[in-house]
Amino acid sequence: MRSIQRRLGVGLLFILLLVGVVMVNASIWLVDLGLRRYLQNGLRDEAELLLIATVRGPAGIQLDDLRLSPAYQRPLSGSYFRVDLPDQVWRSRSSWDFQLERPTRSGLQHGLVDGPGGQELLVYRADFRRFGSDLSITAAQDYRPLSLAFTQVRWLLSGIGALALLVVLLLQWLNVRAALHPLERVRLQVLQLQQGRRGRLDSEADRELAPLVEQINSLLQHTEGSLRRSRNAVGNLGHALKTPLAVLRSLLARAELDALQPLRRQMDDQLDVVEQRLARELNRARLSGEVLPGAHFECDQELPPLCDTLRMIHPHLRQLSWQAPPGLRLPWDREDLLEVLGNLLDNACKWALTQVSLSIEQDGQELLLRIEDDGPGVAEQLRSSLLARGSRLDEQVPGHGLGLAIVRDTLDAWGGTLQLGNAGLGGLRVDVRLPLPN
Amino acid sequence: MRLLLVEDNVPLADELVQGLQRQGYAIDWLADGRDAAFQAACEPYDLIILDLGLPGRPGLDVLREWRDAGLRFPVLILTARASWAERIEGLRAGADDYLAKPFHPEELFLRVQGLLRRARGLDSRAPIEVAGLRLDESRQTVWRDNEEIGLTGAEFRLLRYFMLHSNQLLSKSRLGEHLYEGDGEPDSNVLEVHVNHLRRKLGRQVIETRRGQGYCFVGLSA
Repeated sequence: MRSIQRRLGVGLLFILLLVGVVMVNASIWLVDLGLRRYLQNGLRDEAELLLIATVRGPAGIQLDDLRLSPAYQRPLSGSYFRVDLPDQVWRSRSSWDFQLERPTRSGLQHGLVDGPGGQELLVYRADFRRFGSDLSITAAQDYRPLSLAFTQVRWLLSGIGALALLVVLLLQWLNVRAALHPLERVRLQVLQLQQGRRGRLDSEADRELAPLVEQINSLLQHTEGSLRRSRNAVGNLGHALKTPLAVLRSLLARAELDALQPLRRQMDDQLDVVEQRLARELNRARLSGEVLPGAHFECDQELPPLCDTLRMIHPHLRQLSWQAPPGLRLPWDREDLLEVLGNLLDNACKWALTQVSLSIEQDGQELLLRIEDDGPGVAEQLRSSLLARGSRLDEQVPGHGLGLAIVRDTLDAWGGTLQLGNAGLGGLRVDVRLPLPN
Repeated sequence: MRLLLVEDNVPLADELVQGLQRQGYAIDWLADGRDAAFQAACEPYDLIILDLGLPGRPGLDVLREWRDAGLRFPVLILTARASWAERIEGLRAGADDYLAKPFHPEELFLRVQGLLRRARGLDSRAPIEVAGLRLDESRQTVWRDNEEIGLTGAEFRLLRYFMLHSNQLLSKSRLGEHLYEGDGEPDSNVLEVHVNHLRRKLGRQVIETRRGQGYCFVGLSA
């Protein structure tokens, strides 16, 4: 995966490396240049001393050894000279068997000349005229100790530079991480958004992130709006059809139709089909609209009123109990889950003699909703037909099949399963298993 | 028993009014939430059937207003919005039962019967049974031991009210208010005639007359 952190790190590494190498080399070059200029003065002085030491002796022009620096006497001392006269060449004793060449031009020579024993010589030539003849004096000095020192300094600087580079990279890493922290916060907020724990992102983001956050918020608003409109359209249509359906039902119940029982039954059946279709499509419209999270289901808040409602609808029940871990929050839309629990509990209440129980527990990555009643139960061979879409076991208890169909649609949408079994209370047990979303 | 139906859909209201009248209820009909809020507070209704999507004022608002004012009559909500979340909200607002559209008229009649029995502290599922008499509300007859006794519509209405208020002193005006629609109150002679018919069919001792006060239904046990 591409990483901003890595890209910034690599970029910074190259920049710092380039700057560091240029700086080290430039500074060494400047020091080197300054040093050579300084040494050039020394070499010129040497040349002038040699000129002064050139005296007219008994055998013509000769060099006064007493006036020369002792370094010229000691072999391979690092200081050498060569004096070119028109007819002879004098060389310092220190040169030993090394031939110092006369440079082609006067002044400080560019570059270093290889000297004896691996020495590197800085060479200076000066031309004079004395006692009527041309003198060319060349003085040389070993530059090798300084070169070595420069190399050492170069290594030292590279080491320090590398260390500094590491420190800078580390600081940069921390810095970038701190700078990206607001992004992480936005990411967490989007996560909460997905989990339905917030409706929009905090608009108080950093200035660089504010446009992004605003865009996301307005996108949310837009999606929410169009979703609400389309949901409302389906809902309005569905609900608007319900009243005329109720009128049709009432008309069918009129005494005038008592003589036409088969007709009445057929029309009743067709109305049933329309009604079930309507209820299920309304439910589906709500389910497919689950792009944006609604409020989640807080067991402690939602279950007591639901149970109160059921007790009111089914006053014959002596006991309607529920248990769930305290503070359990189920990450599904509140209304949809109320619909599932309401339909299942309502069914159980219709069949129960005296008691119904609901238990909610988390089982690994699954949530188990278990509803039990002490009613007559359902024979095993009939259970599969009960689960078949829209069927009713008992026509006397209205809405039975429809409720289950709606529950199944909802569970299908959530990837859950529904199983029937024998309850510990004696009646039917309904187990709903829902995989917890990540 | 006198009922108020608050429903803005005229064809549905027409059907329900006729159906409920056939069931022997006196029924008033209103279509506007504001009218309903006012009228229910002044007339002695035994039960109110309330649609939620009303012009004028939302049904839930009206219901909350009644409950805040301490009006305790049973309220049956009738609505196309029938999700459990909405049902819970409705019952929290003070409704006693909830019926989703579309419904079978039979279902509505059963709920109304059940609610009226419950409001009198009786089992909402069992038929009304008082002091040796059992009322069959679907056939509009009464059973004494194993004998089924036929009743006219007016007798049935009267007997049902008596049986739901047994051993209570009921004035003629109270009976008139609860057995007839808004402006249809009969003179007291009509009531007397029906009471006498009932006595003839069920036995003289069933209904006692308290001079100047009214009637008291005591049944066969007295």
